[in-house]
Amino acid sequence: MRRILLIAFKDLLLIIRDRSTVLMILIGPFLLTLGMGLISGQMGGSASPSSGPSDIPVVIVNQDGQSLGNALVNVLSSPELATLLEPGLVSDVEEAKQQVEEDQAAAAIIIPAGFTRSLIPPAGEWQAWLPSSSSNIPLQIYANPGRPNSVAVVESIVREFLFRVEKGRILGWTAIAPLVAKGVIQPAQAEDVGRAWGESQAWSGVEKDLIRVVITEGEATRPRDLNVMASMAPGMALLFLMFTATFGARSLLVEHRQQTLQRLMITPTLPHQILLGKGIGVYLSGVVQQVLLIGVSTWFFALNWGDAWGVLALILCASLAAVGWGLFIAALARTPAQVASAGTALMLVFGLLGGSFVDLGDMPPALYVLSRLTPNAWGLDGYAILAGGGSLSQIAQPLLALLLMGVVLITLAGMVLMRSRRFAQV
Amino acid sequence: MRQILAIIRKDVLLRFASPSEWLFFILLPILFTFVLGMGNYGSDGKVTLLVVNEAKNEISARMIEALKDAPGVQPEVVSRAEAEERFLARKASFWLYLPPDLTAERLMNGEQVRLLLYQQPNNLRALAVQRAVQAAVGGESLPFEAAHEAVALAEQYGIFAAEAERLQYFNEALQLARALWLQTPDRLEVSRPSSAPVYDPRAQASAGQLITWVFIPLFGISALLAYERNTGTLPRVMTTPTPRAVFLLGTIGGQVLMALVQMGLLVGFGVLGLKLSWARDPLVLVLLLLTSALAAGAIGVFMGTWVRNEAQANNLSILMGMVMALLGGCWYPLEFFPAPVKTVVHVLPTTWALEGMVNYLTRGSTLRDLFPQLAVLTGFAVIFFALGFWRLKREA
Repeated sequence: MRRILLIAFKDLLLIIRDRSTVLMILIGPFLLTLGMGLISGQMGGSASPSSGPSDIPVVIVNQDGQSLGNALVNVLSSPELATLLEPGLVSDVEEAKQQVEEDQAAAAIIIPAGFTRSLIPPAGEWQAWLPSSSSNIPLQIYANPGRPNSVAVVESIVREFLFRVEKGRILGWTAIAPLVAKGVIQPAQAEDVGRAWGESQAWSGVEKDLIRVVITEGEATRPRDLNVMASMAPGMALLFLMFTATFGARSLLVEHRQQTLQRLMITPTLPHQILLGKGIGVYLSGVVQQVLLIGVSTWFFALNWGDAWGVLALILCASLAAVGWGLFIAALARTPAQVASAGTALMLVFGLLGGSFVDLGDMPPALYVLSRLTPNAWGLDGYAILAGGGSLSQIAQPLLALLLMGVVLITLAGMVLMRSRRFAQV
Repeated sequence: MRQILAIIRKDVLLRFASPSEWLFFILLPILFTFVLGMGNYGSDGKVTLLVVNEAKNEISARMIEALKDAPGVQPEVVSRAEAEERFLARKASFWLYLPPDLTAERLMNGEQVRLLLYQQPNNLRALAVQRAVQAAVGGESLPFEAAHEAVALAEQYGIFAAEAERLQYFNEALQLARALWLQTPDRLEVSRPSSAPVYDPRAQASAGQLITWVFIPLFGISALLAYERNTGTLPRVMTTPTPRAVFLLGTIGGQVLMALVQMGLLVGFGVLGLKLSWARDPLVLVLLLLTSALAAGAIGVFMGTWVRNEAQANNLSILMGMVMALLGGCWYPLEFFPAPVKTVVHVLPTTWALEGMVNYLTRGSTLRDLFPQLAVLTGFAVIFFALGFWRLKREA
């Protein structure tokens, strides 16, 4: 056992002492996580937990100048939307469109003359309240094609405003028209009754949405808000764990090339002890990398990773699975360069398929099935459950999958290596 | 010229000595472009919305129909257990719960019903899904609310002698409100500049991945220089009649040439595989690709004068390439960056390269429009080549 541990700690020391390796396994993921924090606004604290566009420049042309046009301008300039929108008013439609074409604005909102009148007819024309496409004077959004997501936000705000206006119209008509039809009130009274009723309802303060949509993020049964960084940081940590595993396993071939493996083989140390020692060395470097990354990101981004025992179990199992892949590649490769290139390729492909770059839910089913071959996917499943408030028992499936992956791959790698020339030649 | 070509040939042979180079040269970039293009990048395309319909009535059926007509959303009715399992396993980004108490009776009694929309955090399509759900829900909620208001107003006039009359009045108002909702014209027109092609979220993935996968090997010029320096082949070349400038031109030219070939292949994939308008203006495209490659190559040369060994250079190239790509907007669209960050990241060549390429693809930008991007990328190339050559000269 002492020999195994000696080999393991020797390999761990070699990895830690190599500056270029430390750059990749510790500084790399930390810098990328930091970068993601910057671009998602988490460092400045300006973004919402759901992320997405913010400070969207919008240019408004209010040619209407009446109550609804002014109300829309007020909505777009309201404090509630201050972090989302950066509205500016201009009087000329062409100038607004030019700003969009020059990418100074994500969208131009043009409120045409007569917009209010098309929805709220003048006094005495109460029948004109009835929805009609002939009198329709629609709002216009001139969209910047280079900012589709910002345009989607602006459009949703404008549509929400229009829905509220339309709702008021339909509520009013449905309340008044039957009374007129039944002769309860005279047509001439309709408008006054409608306005009085509308005002009394507006000031009643009663919640009118009979069907409400409650939006929750995170774990299904215990909805709560999650921090964007809590989903990004594990992705980066797992991405670079694969690099650590393949880099560590590469040392088997490097030692063989440098003849130090042969030197070890002439000692009383048995081949399986050497393999085990090297495997444990790689495993320990993976565990140390994960612990440091998680520790630093917890401190730096104030992240809550969830149940500590669950996180520890995930680190141990994910490292085992990653080491399995690293040793398996080393067993099949002929040169250290082959391990390096295959390892880097695998790291990137596993990162992509495992969800380190994109949400797995957006992937086609076939890619989802492939993702189950990666430690990244299972690891991220586990971290997502823990971050959502799950406990150790709830991540049993990812833990078992990682454990199984690690054991199967390490066994296969061991079998291949023990039969290979490297170990059989002495 | 013959000497330069000989150096280029040598570098090409060295780089492609291992078949695995093809992985990084073309296969992985295409895989990443393909997957990311289908992934998280925009509001176009359909996203699956799992719907758990425990109400199983006309109202819930109409909502699901409305969701089917909504842009960007593809509802899929599943059981609650399946929705929870797929959501927890991150096989689905959204699920909507229509509870058993979503009934006409409850709504007629004026009791509020809460629908739950679950969404994974950090999903760029959340807004499109929320909008579709709100619209579908609004169309069902509004008639009931209108009917309640109508009855409440009518009660003020005391027109109901019996509960049956009140109920009949409610039902008539409900039908009226529903009809009015269906008659409502669309009061919003969305248009875009006539010169701009229709936005395709794959444009972002194509341009972003092209830059990522080409900049990393160009930064890798630093590893070539470190290798030549550490193995002593550079001084050996210097003992031949080949001038230093010819050697550098051959080394850098070869890498830039390979980068241009790689870019050409990725552009070809963009045109044929993703139907992107890369070929719209070949002159502008060539200038964009060339200035981007030169800027990255120049940074590689500059890095090569600082790094100590090949391994350090290789790892630093990968790291710098990934960080610059991330911050330059190659992985996530620049429009999502907070305003101050969006400004700061313009110190990176990746930001200018991406802006140029995305504007070329999605806004139909011309040579004149793209002059700032081309000028800045050229500026990067000039400054870093000058600094790199100055340091190499000092080393000599």
